[in-house]
Amino acid sequence: MHIKIQNEERDFGFWLPLFLLIPLALVILIILSPLILIAILVTWPSGWGRYALLSLQAAIVSFWALRGLEVDVQGRREKVYISVV
Amino acid sequence: MSENKKKILEMLAQNKISADDAYRLLSAVDSGEGGHGNARHENTGSKGPGEKVKARYLRVTVTPDEEGANKTEGSLFKDGKVGRVNVRVPMSLIRAGIKLKSLVPPEAMDKVNKALKEKGINFDVNSIKNEDIEELIDALGDMQIDVEGGRGEKVRVYVE
Repeated sequence: MHIKIQNEERDFGFWLPLFLLIPLALVILIILSPLILIAILVTWPSGWGRYALLSLQAAIVSFWALRGLEVDVQGRREKVYISVV
Repeated sequence: MSENKKKILEMLAQNKISADDAYRLLSAVDSGEGGHGNARHENTGSKGPGEKVKARYLRVTVTPDEEGANKTEGSLFKDGKVGRVNVRVPMSLIRAGIKLKSLVPPEAMDKVNKALKEKGINFDVNSIKNEDIEELIDALGDMQIDVEGGRGEKVRVYVE
């Protein structure tokens, strides 16, 4: 992911390699999985557990779908560029 | 060129069929060829007769009036309100976004339907199915919106 912010005061840009974030996200997910599982089981009878499960799935799907996203906004004095390669 | 296409062109040359008929027949032959045709057009980025380029990205661009940028008044670019905007959204993200509909609780859906009805739109959001979404995204391939604002700014929404 490439993020670049440019204005009169600063010119700041960096490359964020998503492949390095994925293992980190997986570790966090594994650590939190017992809590997530308990939360889903507790909320299942009320019907919200299903939504929690679907939200988790949707978050993962959306993350993968980000590839190719490009946002380039340029004002008179500032510029913001975000690109997911 | 396939035999069928040759035959169609020969029939057109011999005035056995009209240009419209030939166009329709060529389109039918192309659609019959299936995925091969689409892949070819994805690579070249050109459209053949009656063929659709598979939608991969939704592009939204806002360009300020270039001439107006030199004026002191009346230019959004000069005012700093609107600059150049170029957004490319992958279709996969749109697809994932639409599928988030399944996360919306039925009570909220009822509220959405009610609000739509109040606005005069008689549409049941629950009736949107996954197959419809695919059809909708495929149909987006033909979409192109060009809007020119009062201050010369141009907004373009199209699929590539």
